[in-house]
Parts: sequence; structure tokens; C-alpha cells
Amino acid sequence: MLLDTENSAKRPSRMTARHIEYAIVAALAALTLVLLFVMGVFSHAVAETNDGKPQRLAGYVRPNDMGTGALLFPSKEPGSFVEAPRLATDVVIDVNGPIIRTRVTQRFQNPSKGWVEGTYVFPLPENSAVDTLKMQIGDRFIEGEIKAREEARKVYEEAKAEGKKTALLEQQRPNIFTNQVANIGPGETIVVQIEYQSSVHQSGGEFSLRFPMVVAPRYNPDPIIQTVDLDPKSGYAVNDPVPDRDKIAAPVLDPAENARINPVTLTVNLNAGFPLGTVTSPFHQTDMQTVDDMARTISLKGGSVPADKDFALSWNAIAGKTPNAGLFRETQGGKTYLLGFVTPPAGSAVTETPAKREVIFVIDNSGSMAGPSIEQARDSLALAISKLKAEDKFNVVRFDDTMEVHFPTLVQATPDKREDAIAFVRGLTADGGTEMLPALEAALRTQGPVEPGALRQVVFLTDGAIGNEAQLFEEISKNRGEARVFTVGIGSAPNTHFMTKAAEIGRGTFTLIGSEDQVAARMGELFAKLENPVMTDIAADFDGANARDITPNPMPDLYRGEPVVLTAQLDGATPAGKLQITGKTGNQPWRIEMDVAKASEGQGIAKLWARRKIDDLEANAYAVNDQAALDKQIETVALANHLVSRVTSLVAVDVTPSRPTGEPVVSTDLPLNLPEGWDFEKVFGEKPQQAMPEGERKASLERSEQQAMMVADRMAAAPTARAASVIADAGKQVDLPQTATLADRHILIGLLLLAFALMAATTFSLWRWQLRGLALEASDRV
Amino acid sequence: MSDKPGNQENQDKEGRAGFLARLTALETIVLAGILLIALAGLMLVGKGFYMKAKAEVSQVLLKRSFEAQLQGETNVKPWPWADFSTEAEITAPRIGKTAVVLSGASGEALAFGPARLANTPAPGEPGTSVIAAHRDTHFRWLKDVKPGDLLVVTRNDGTNLTFRAGSSRIARWDQSGINANAPGRNLVLATCWPFDAAEQGPLRYIMNAELVADADPSTLAAQGESGKLPVKSF
Repeated sequence: MLLDTENSAKRPSRMTARHIEYAIVAALAALTLVLLFVMGVFSHAVAETNDGKPQRLAGYVRPNDMGTGALLFPSKEPGSFVEAPRLATDVVIDVNGPIIRTRVTQRFQNPSKGWVEGTYVFPLPENSAVDTLKMQIGDRFIEGEIKAREEARKVYEEAKAEGKKTALLEQQRPNIFTNQVANIGPGETIVVQIEYQSSVHQSGGEFSLRFPMVVAPRYNPDPIIQTVDLDPKSGYAVNDPVPDRDKIAAPVLDPAENARINPVTLTVNLNAGFPLGTVTSPFHQTDMQTVDDMARTISLKGGSVPADKDFALSWNAIAGKTPNAGLFRETQGGKTYLLGFVTPPAGSAVTETPAKREVIFVIDNSGSMAGPSIEQARDSLALAISKLKAEDKFNVVRFDDTMEVHFPTLVQATPDKREDAIAFVRGLTADGGTEMLPALEAALRTQGPVEPGALRQVVFLTDGAIGNEAQLFEEISKNRGEARVFTVGIGSAPNTHFMTKAAEIGRGTFTLIGSEDQVAARMGELFAKLENPVMTDIAADFDGANARDITPNPMPDLYRGEPVVLTAQLDGATPAGKLQITGKTGNQPWRIEMDVAKASEGQGIAKLWARRKIDDLEANAYAVNDQAALDKQIETVALANHLVSRVTSLVAVDVTPSRPTGEPVVSTDLPLNLPEGWDFEKVFGEKPQQAMPEGERKASLERSEQQAMMVADRMAAAPTARAASVIADAGKQVDLPQTATLADRHILIGLLLLAFALMAATTFSLWRWQLRGLALEASDRV
Repeated sequence: MSDKPGNQENQDKEGRAGFLARLTALETIVLAGILLIALAGLMLVGKGFYMKAKAEVSQVLLKRSFEAQLQGETNVKPWPWADFSTEAEITAPRIGKTAVVLSGASGEALAFGPARLANTPAPGEPGTSVIAAHRDTHFRWLKDVKPGDLLVVTRNDGTNLTFRAGSSRIARWDQSGINANAPGRNLVLATCWPFDAAEQGPLRYIMNAELVADADPSTLAAQGESGKLPVKSF
């Protein structure tokens, strides 16, 4: 009965109910919008704070950005530095066959009114051997001596404390070194001369060298677009760093201006060792003189110094005379040092269809990978899987403190298998401990035998946060078999030591991915190597000569266009015998022989050998239990060859005062008695722009004066020893991790949602109540 | 309406669905929507509190593991699947706060406790040791540390070290200006800034502290060789 009445009662109220329904729907929609908006504002705020990176302050530089030799002083901004005015630079590059000797002499000025400590930074080409440091600070000449690292630092700190002029050149990483210079007087001039040895780069018949000349990104913002940079959160504004902006000259980056302020003279004495074809300098205008058919002297045309390009020089042989092999030797201390290079025949391997690949991907999803690391790892791996070809085979292994092999065995990389694996990878989350060994074993041992003609590759993505390195190295060296192990380092501070060594032992390469935006580029480089190996199983040995050390050992695989470059130490001053190099392109063996006695003379080979020997010692560190003994070995090699290394530094000690004490020092004077064997004239003496008209010369002088004032203005008021050492290894500036959880935000949004739900529920029940009232009313009427 | 069950036999059969059955389709959807929103809200609140609880509770386990380490046990892990180990304990005596410090501030370690950045030396070694923690959990008290306050660090080898807090500053995470190899034996405590913000930002609060060589004897008395610094070959 009641049911009937209710139904009948509903009919008259239907119109009202409709209205209420619409109202509720509208209210709900509005609330949802508000909610979305609130959440949107949150995420927008985050995006903004991430993008709103404050512009780097004008005129300040950071050591990592330096593209050419520079002397840095700590500035008023913590972590930032100002460049000392560079008054002159002279570069002499001697090329003898495959060996390059570079001597860089630069003159700087301390523009401030205080005693300061500066840091000289100079980016070096890969695998350069630094052996000489000479400096002139004010009226003192000091020369670097090679010493054990700790001893050198002690000498430096003592001399510094005593107020003596001193300099310390340390290796931070294999191609990054810093040179601290203490006690530079007010207005004093500093001349730095360094020398290093490196080898000519060869690729596809082209020989080349590169000298760093890029001026660091450093500019004065245009006053018109200058705005006060208000931080949205703190409300702080960054002060205009240059108060007397209107007095400042044009941006330093203007190449013509740069050439006037920082005159550079550069000479290359090229002695190729073969009849030269074309010699080109792609970025700079040069004057070239022909000495004979094998030699040229190249110098920079005055004023031609683009500040945004490194100096590069490339040369090749006249047609048909391109050397595909070469052997050079140097005799030192009763021993013979050899440098040999061979370019394997390119044709056959390159035109052949690439070999089939069997790839096992190993991904670390332990707790230490949580956050951006696992995202980068997932992206990199998904990209790698998607690049596989249908004829390739692959498998995926993931590990934390547990381990999972995705496919039971290697599977053909068909589109659906790839999709399947990518979905698996995308679903990984980072949690748990790091037990790498079982995963490595699974990748190296349980994937079945390698198919004939196929390439077995293990790609390992991890941050390397592990403690049992030695065990892992052993596993790789024992069980790698035919496989190549490629490591991909993920995250902001991966254990590069572990991954570099693991790749070396596994005869693969190490790829470092530091941030999300590097994934595509770096993985692309890796794919190129994974897909196009040219020659494998390269070995060298001597037949008849007593070779003690051949480096590198073992020989790495070769990729397209690369030559084999090896150095060796032989007993005796006049060795005889034959050098044999063997290898394999695909399934085809390859072999070459060279007569040691016919090697031509070269200089600096001993140093190159020593540098590579040190690299090898470092690479085999995992096999040596006694770290101290290894350090001792490296120290012995480095000291014998006067090389800067991880365990040895050059410390500069006062050699001779250039003037008797008491004589007044005027910084513009030419130095008098240069110590014997020193050659600094080039950076003093006549300036190249002397020929310019009087007015222009005056203007240029004024400009460099202004520049000096500008630098002095930005230098820290009283640079302390601490501030100076900040730059010494500012390359290692510590990045701070994210230290805010989203807990508060979660709770806040959660409460908002709850409040909303409560409100909606109230509205809803009110509405129902109203309906019931209407129904009752209707039934009463009945 | 449900107070009149006698009249609704068919609906009674469906039990709980009875109430829902009398709603129109639209009403059901609205109700479901409200329920979903309430559920999402609850989950978010729960997640937030879970993160906070995890931070608090794990400290108890960490404390236990740290004490085991002090007893000389090696290779202790707070729990079997942990990806880190305890390394030190930091105390701010004036404000009475303490926390166990973990090794390696990567990934999830920071969810459980303050952690020393792996690329900086241990506290008390030459250089600058950096310990970071979340501003809304373990380093909530960092804003209360004033210049001149003492900070006591107990390392897992039993060494007690006293640091004196110095200046503090604010910097971007990638422009910290902190040099791990700076001269002296320094400690840097870092957390996110501003302290009460709800979102993750790029700014960090950096508190510098320096080792007090002649520390208060009472702090170091427990040590056999009081006042002796852990000197590495230098």
C-alpha cells in the first residue's frame, strides 16, 4: 500500500526532484573542478620551482664549465668563481708521427688588492700525460717536482702557511687535474706553463688533434633585459651583480673582443711521417708553411680566435699513401719503448651484414635505485629492447635481494616478445637489497651456449651500490666466455669505479647516464657499439724480442674506423724480432707482422707507455688484494716518468728569484734572468695588436683595465685558504638529494578529498530527506 | 523508509542491496562517486601517515641495529632486505633530539633515516661530511639548531665526536657549494627548504658545523682515548 502511495507521491514531485538532481550534478561538477584546480595548482607549483632555475650570475664561472686554460679566484658567491684576466696565451704543439707534445704558456693577472690563492684549470684531452709545470708568480720562478701525492700536499700546505709562493698540481680524475697557486700578491702577474704528451687521434684514414680554446659561458646581461630575479618562494631577489654596469665593455664572448683582450698565439709543428695530402683547420684561419712533403708549420692568423670553438687540425696522406700501420720507438734508460698502430682492413667487416646478437639485459631494481634512478633505468632498458631486431635473441633479468629471469631461455626478439619484456620492465619498482652476484651468474652462465657467429652481449644497468666488488669481478673474468659485458651507470652518484672495471674485464664499454635527458643520446652511442663491432679477440705478441709489458692488456674490441694502438716496453737498447697482432673480423682471422728493428725514432713514447701502464695497473686493481702495493707500483712508474697520477702530484717549489731581494718589482717589467731552459718570452714581449691605431689601442687598453676592475670587484673580499681549496676540487661539488617527502601533501589532499566527500554526502542525504518529506506529505494527503 | 521492512519483501531478499535498489541510477552513481572520493581521500591520508610512521618506527629498528654495531657486531642490517646499514647517531643535546644515520643517501634510505651522502667522508674524517634528511620527519628539528649549538655524532666504531653548529644558508640542490674535500673536519646537515612547504622544491637548507677539537670532556670521557681524533694517514 505504502509502496503505491509512494509511487504516486513521486509523480507530482518528479519535477522538483529533477531540478534537485540537476543542481546536485552541477554542484558535484563544480566541486570536482575546484578540486582539480587545487591539485593542478600544486603540480604547477612544483613544475615552476623545477624550471625556475636562477640564471647563472653574469661573469661568474664554475670550474666544470671551463673549456680552456684559466686561473680562477673564489668569488663573493659561494660555489662560483671569477676568471683572472688572461693577458696572453702561447701554445706550441709538436706533432711527430703519432705523438703530440703540447706546451701551453699563459699569463694572468691578480687584479685585486689582496693576497690570494687561485686555481688554474685546464681541460685535457683524453689520456694525456702531464709531466711539466713551470710558473712565475710576481718575481718568483717555481718549477713542479713530482712527488707522492700526500707528500706533495704536505709540502704545499707548509709552504703556503709560511707565505711562500707555491703551486700544487693534482690529478682529480684521469683527465681532470687542478693546479692550486698560493700567495699571489696584489696586482701580480702569474705565468703558468704546462706540458703534456698525447697521441694523434686516428679514424678512417684521417689524423687529427684538438686543443681546448672554448671560453667558458660568461657574459654580462644586457641592461635592457635585466630584471630583478625574485624567487617565488622566498621572496628573495638576487642583487644586480654588477653595480656599475654602464661602465662595462661589451660581452666578453664577442670573438673579436676576446682576441684583443686575450691574445692567443698558436703554432703547430706538424711532422706527419708520411707524405701529406690536405691539412685543414676547420674552425680557425691559419697561415701554413710547407717545410717538406711530410712536414708543415701552422700558425693562427692574427685575430682569428673564435672563442666558441676548440682549435682542431686534421690531416691525411696523399692518395694511396695512407699508412695502415706504423711502428715507432724510443730508447730510454737502457730500455726500448715501442708505439705501434694498425688500422684493420675496413672493407670486409663493414659491408657484411651485422652479426646476430644475443643480448641479456640485467636491471637493478634495489632500494638504492628508488626515485629518478629507476625511471632512467626503465627508460634506457625499454629503449634498448625496442631497438632489437627480429633476428636477435634476448632475455631480461631483474634483481634486488631476489632475482627474476623474465623468459626461461633466450627468446627471439619478435615484436610481441619485445612488448612483453617492455611491459615487464615498465612495471618494475625499486625496493629491497642489492644482491648482484646471482643475477650476474644467471646472465653469464645459464643462458645456454652462444650460437656460432652470434655476439653474446650482457648489458648491465645499475648504480653499482654494492660491497662485494672483488667477487663480482672474479665472476666476470671467470665466466664471461664469449660474452661482452657492457655496463650502464644510472643515477647521480653511481659507483663508476665498479662499472668501469666490470666493463673492462668484460671487454665491453661503460656508459654513464646522469640524468633523464641524457638517456636517448648516451644509449644511442651504446647501441652503435653494440650493433657494429668490427674486430674482436685482438692480441699482440713479440716474436724474438723480450717484451715485458704490452699495453693495453687485454686489448679492447675495435669499432668502425678505429685503429689498434699499443705501446710496449722491450729489454735492451737495440731489440730485434717481430711484432704480431692478431684478431678476428666476424669469423675471419686477421694477422699482421711488423719488424721491430725497422721502427722509426720517436720522442715521448716512454711517457705514453707509462701513462697507459698506470691505466692498466688501475684497471687490474680488483685482482690485487694489497691496495698499498698497487699504489706503490703506480707511484714507481709515475715517479720514474715524471707523471702526474692518482698517487703522484707535481708540487712547485721556488727555484730562483728573478731579482735580488730589495729591488722594487714593477709588474709590467719584463722578467730579467730567466732560469735556463725556461721560455716565457712569447707571453711577454710584443703584443700582436701593437700595430693598431693609437685610438683603438687606447680603447683596448681601457677595456682590459675595465675587465680587470670588474673581476676585482667580484672577487671574494679576503679569499681564504678554505675558499681557495673549494675551487681546487669544486668539480666534486656535492649535489644534495631531495629531502622533502610528499607525506604532508598526501595528507593535505587526502583531507580535502574527505571533506569534499563529507560535504557531498551531506547534500545527498539532505536531498533524500527532502524527498522522504515529500513522500510522507503525499501519503498524508492520501 | 527502511523502517518499514514489512512492505518490501522483494527488497528484503536482496538484503543490503535494498537501500541501493530504491535509488535511481543517477543517485547510485552520485553515491558511488562520493564513496570513491572518500576512499581516495582516506588512502592518501593513510599513505601520508604511513610515510611518517615508517620514518618513526624504522628508527627503533635502526637504533637496535646501531647498538648491535656498537657491541662490535659487523654486517648487521636493520632488516634482512634493507639496502643500507646504520653508520652513526646524531644528537642535538640542547633540543634533545636524536636520529640514527644511514649509509648512502640514495633511493629509499632517506625514507627511514638521515643518511650520509656516499661521496662525502665519514663525520670526523678530513673533509666535509654531508648528512641529509627529510625536513618533515627526521630533520624537522634542524630549524631549531642555532649557531653555537653542539651536535654529538657517535660513529658505529664507537667514536664520539662533537661538532659546533655554525652558519646556515640556503642554496639550490645543484649549487650547494659544498666541497667534500675542504680542509678541516666539517659536518654539513642538509634538508629541504622552506621548512613548512608541502611540495618538493629545488632549495636546500644547509647548516655548517665544525669539529670541536677540545670538546667538553664529559662528552668524550666515555672514550678510552678521549679527545683523540680519528686521524687517517694524512
